[in-house]
Amino acid sequence: MAPPAQSQRSQSPSQPSGKSEVSDLKHQLRQLAGSRAPGVDDSKRELFKKVISYMTIGIDVSSLFGEMVMCSATSDIVLKKMCYLYVGNYAKVNPDLALLTINFLQRDCHDEDPMIRGLALRSLCSLRVANLVEYLVGPLGSGLKDSNSYVRTVAVVGVLKLYHISASTCVDADFPSMLKHLMLNDSDTQIVANCLSALQEIWSAEASTSEEAAREREALISKPFIYYLLNRIKEFSEWAQCLVLELVTKYVPSDSSEIFDIMNLLEDRLQHANGAVVLATVKVFLQLTLSMTDVHQQVYERIKAPLLTLVSSGSPEQSYAVLSHLHLLVMRAPYVFSSDYKHFYCQYNEPSYVKRLKLEMLTAVANESNTYEIVTELCEYAANVDIPIARESIRAVGKIALQQYDVNAIVDRLLQFLEMEKDYVTAEALVLVKDLLRKYPQWSHDCIAVVGNISSKNVQEPKAKAALIWMLGEYSQDMQDAPYILESLVENWDEEHSAEVRLHLLTAVMKCFFKRPPETQSALGAALAAGIGDFHQDVHDRALFYYRILRYNVSVAERVVNPPKQAVSVFADTQSSEIKDRIFDEFNSLSVLYQKPSYMFTDKEHRGPLEFADELGNLSIGEAAHNVISSQRVEENDKDLLLTTAEKEETRGSSNNGSVYAVPYDSSTSVFASQTQIESAISNPTTAGHSQHASFGIDDLLGLGMPAVPDVASPPQLKLNTKAALDPNAFQQKWRQLPVALSQELSLSPQAVAALTVPQALLRHMQSHSIHCIASGGQSPNFKFFFFAQKYEEPSNYLVECIINTTSAKAQVKIKADNQSTSQAFSTLFELALSKFGTP
Amino acid sequence: MLQCIFLLSDSGEVMLEKQLTGHRVDRSICDWFWDHVISQGDSLKSQPVIASPTHYLFQVVREGITFLACTQVEMPPLMGIEFLCRVSDVLSDYLGGLNEDVIKDNFVIVYELLDEMIDNGFPLTTEPNILREMIAPPNIVSKVLSVVTGNSSNVSDTLPGATGSCIPWRAADPKYANNEVYVDLVEEMDAVINRDGVLVKCEVYGEVRVNSHLSGLPDLTLSFANPSILDDVRFHPCVRFRPWESHQILSFVPPDGEFKLMSYRVKKLKSTPIYVKPQLSSDAGKCRVNVLVGIRNDHGKTIDSITLQFQLPPCILSADLTSNTGTVNILGNKTCSWSIGRIPKDKTPSLSGTLVLESELERLHVFPTFRVGFKIMGVALSGLQIDKLDLKTAPSRLYKGFRALTRAGEFEVRS
Repeated sequence: MAPPAQSQRSQSPSQPSGKSEVSDLKHQLRQLAGSRAPGVDDSKRELFKKVISYMTIGIDVSSLFGEMVMCSATSDIVLKKMCYLYVGNYAKVNPDLALLTINFLQRDCHDEDPMIRGLALRSLCSLRVANLVEYLVGPLGSGLKDSNSYVRTVAVVGVLKLYHISASTCVDADFPSMLKHLMLNDSDTQIVANCLSALQEIWSAEASTSEEAAREREALISKPFIYYLLNRIKEFSEWAQCLVLELVTKYVPSDSSEIFDIMNLLEDRLQHANGAVVLATVKVFLQLTLSMTDVHQQVYERIKAPLLTLVSSGSPEQSYAVLSHLHLLVMRAPYVFSSDYKHFYCQYNEPSYVKRLKLEMLTAVANESNTYEIVTELCEYAANVDIPIARESIRAVGKIALQQYDVNAIVDRLLQFLEMEKDYVTAEALVLVKDLLRKYPQWSHDCIAVVGNISSKNVQEPKAKAALIWMLGEYSQDMQDAPYILESLVENWDEEHSAEVRLHLLTAVMKCFFKRPPETQSALGAALAAGIGDFHQDVHDRALFYYRILRYNVSVAERVVNPPKQAVSVFADTQSSEIKDRIFDEFNSLSVLYQKPSYMFTDKEHRGPLEFADELGNLSIGEAAHNVISSQRVEENDKDLLLTTAEKEETRGSSNNGSVYAVPYDSSTSVFASQTQIESAISNPTTAGHSQHASFGIDDLLGLGMPAVPDVASPPQLKLNTKAALDPNAFQQKWRQLPVALSQELSLSPQAVAALTVPQALLRHMQSHSIHCIASGGQSPNFKFFFFAQKYEEPSNYLVECIINTTSAKAQVKIKADNQSTSQAFSTLFELALSKFGTP
Repeated sequence: MLQCIFLLSDSGEVMLEKQLTGHRVDRSICDWFWDHVISQGDSLKSQPVIASPTHYLFQVVREGITFLACTQVEMPPLMGIEFLCRVSDVLSDYLGGLNEDVIKDNFVIVYELLDEMIDNGFPLTTEPNILREMIAPPNIVSKVLSVVTGNSSNVSDTLPGATGSCIPWRAADPKYANNEVYVDLVEEMDAVINRDGVLVKCEVYGEVRVNSHLSGLPDLTLSFANPSILDDVRFHPCVRFRPWESHQILSFVPPDGEFKLMSYRVKKLKSTPIYVKPQLSSDAGKCRVNVLVGIRNDHGKTIDSITLQFQLPPCILSADLTSNTGTVNILGNKTCSWSIGRIPKDKTPSLSGTLVLESELERLHVFPTFRVGFKIMGVALSGLQIDKLDLKTAPSRLYKGFRALTRAGEFEVRS
């Protein structure tokens, strides 16, 4: 099955080995080049076909470049197309030879046939050779003015290609403004769409250096332009509609009647045959109504049916993509979907990744009215041939049990699982019964009766074994032979490979000892001895701890090991709500499929052009780090078993820190990137004065407070509202809407760096300066904050994005303001507040 | 924005590579992808969107051909997937089916098509009608034509008129001697019957397929006798939204040829046309199987090509199954397939036999799911009925035809 490696393939005897065939072709092409005999085109075609097929299977035919160009003088369009294809493929590696093709391509750009004009122009722009750009400007200019729409369409995309080869040439030739003119005036919607996509890319790239481009980019999401597009939306091709809809999500309507107008206009797009259009429309609806809670709910109701239809009608690939989005919505608003639970029933033929999504959705939508049906359905999956899915379904039953009040029926089902005598079913069920008992201790009597019948020899999986041992310890007074089972387990201490199980065994024996001392005493002695001799550090430590605390005071030991326990009411969620919100913002993107926001997996340089905000600057997570995180997460899940919520938090924090350290930070964004410099900057701050920021740094260090520069400017005094309030949705909308007023890099004092171990520290500090935090995240050394402040007695907001890297002691600050004129004053305040952070 | 498209054969060989942007995607990504697919065991089991170390990959597998697209930027996932599906549809339409040979033989056409369908990573035209005007399909007719006329170019001289028109799906003014339009209702019934014999889910997914050969710019209206039963509908872009919203009438100017006018869903149906009653009882390392199949509701139409398939659990050593009607086959991968065909009048088809379990097992714990197939001509099980089809300014001779067909979709019975 494995594909032969590239090199092997070209050497295998059945395939042409290359050399001799290529030289043969060269010879034949040469013969045909000058010929005008009838039928020559047909023989040329055969030859060209051969060349292209060699190219396709990976043989290097670039040595034929000259001959191919010579043969390209033809009126046959298929020959031309093949020639263009060949030239486009090899021009980049043969820039000198590419010059040869310019001539005939330019000539073709003036051909009578619009098809040839278009094709030639497309090929010309696809050469992508930097030193040939001068030859592009002329044909592109006339292409944009061509009378045929096909040529114009090609020319517009050509401008974008030119921009990527040489931005300055493109801008100097004034192409962006020509595109803008076409976009606003051309009657062909495909051209409008191509202009839009090209201009979005060009202006976003230019926005950082040119104010005009930034303004133009903002103008794309202005009311007149959005309405211009929306009114013609039906004329656009389905793909162009996706583009337009994506743009509309960035538009912020002025009032609710506008929102309703847009939704009315777009409602029929939900019925479109193309799933991409439907999803883009759904995104518009969701984004528009974010701040209108009631309408937002109605939107969920409205989009439900189209999405469910997409899931059931499309190909498996399409339905998976839609299902992932549906999954996101179900997780946000399970109650909306609670009556549609049957759509999430698993079908036998579905791949397991689809089943897994469906199981999660079934778990989420379960409520009082449908629990019985859902659990019945899930129980059928437990007998599924697909073992991983069978396991997941049992887990799902358990999760439903933990989120419901009426667990009566579910407990019976779980206990039936225990009696199924299938090892993996027993294992999963044991873990669940354990969780269930932690939440509903009142069920212990029924459960323990069944659990007591399970022979510990039949349980091999560490998680299940640990769960069983936990129950033996916790309920040893109810289980007749608990001490003896534990004793036999202790006897086989050396055969137990899982440290987790040994840890639980130690604790369980301790618990049992306090409940039934005479029967357990010998087992306890043996367990402690074995534990102290254990090679695993944690096991050793815990055994030693128990030993010492027992020697110190037995009643203290009992209080430590057997404290009165409260039922666990809420189990820690695995994914933070901030991340969920972030994924929701990225609806209709790959993030949804990975269930991670894009900053966690896309490369920074490849992010979309009109992104909401730049993400943690230095945290450009490569695939390696990505893997580290996911594998750690798996481990964590394994560890979750018996840890309390607090313990869990702790382990997560530390393991995540580890992963962050593993990420190589991007040296281009931090001034003091090299390790030695950082150290010197921290240990001896005065030597760090290499950059323009040094003066700030030193001032901060010496506790001089306000930096010198803004003092000189003496800005008008700005007073902030101490009790400012802004809801996250409004913040988000504003952030999207407003341009960046100020962007700067600030230095942090070592005290500040030292104080910033967790984001919360800075939040409290900034709050005391009337600057409030709306969202924060990250672990050392990268933190990210979104702050806001309001002007005193005036509804004027300031929004701040602040990215702090503690290793380089730098803060990247971006400020946006309702009132641009006061942003400088606010920036000064912000700097002042930040500089005081860490000082007592 | 897609950066590159590859077509892979069923052995993972790169048959075609189309670079779309200035960022050149190296072919080695295909090797990585193929290793990934093999590690998953089955290409159908791996996800349609995969993160490779360097790119995000979209994959769509059709008839053994893998359509692979690469990107490094965030983009709407359905745009990538839908586009690849369209590419495969257009190719199989053009080449009269998809397989390794036909693609290798016609790779020039494939390149030409891709060239028009996507530029700089952004999809342009995927309407088969327009493409057909830009690039002639490699059929026998055009070959004959090229011999006769001596014109060896396989493309028409004129650019498609429709690219600029506001009805992009319709080629400019076709002419037919016989004006014909055929409407088919094609439905698939999805049903789940659980272990207790309860019908837990039953719904119909249906499509209205139209085959139209009409001259000029025909304006059609199609109405249903009972449109209220439809739960959700999706339309071809040619359908006007307002008439549907106000009167549930489909008003449209059709594309030329065959197309999917509308798809719909009907939920919460109460019954299935046939019943399947499996019984499994195990004892002392053996499991007795008995399955009965019969007609539940008589629609007056014959139920055709009834089949029953199930996967034997892995713990079964051998199986001895016989039936009183049709044939039973046990395939190599332990799939048992029973094809019944039509149900005879005089007896109820039944399948019976014993399964021998692995030596340690007393009872069977994993139960098979029976997947049922059937076909009923002449009836749409959702109950949807076409009322009438009208053509504004009807030509003198117009043939109209209606058909209906229901198939089993995901129809499964658990035991």
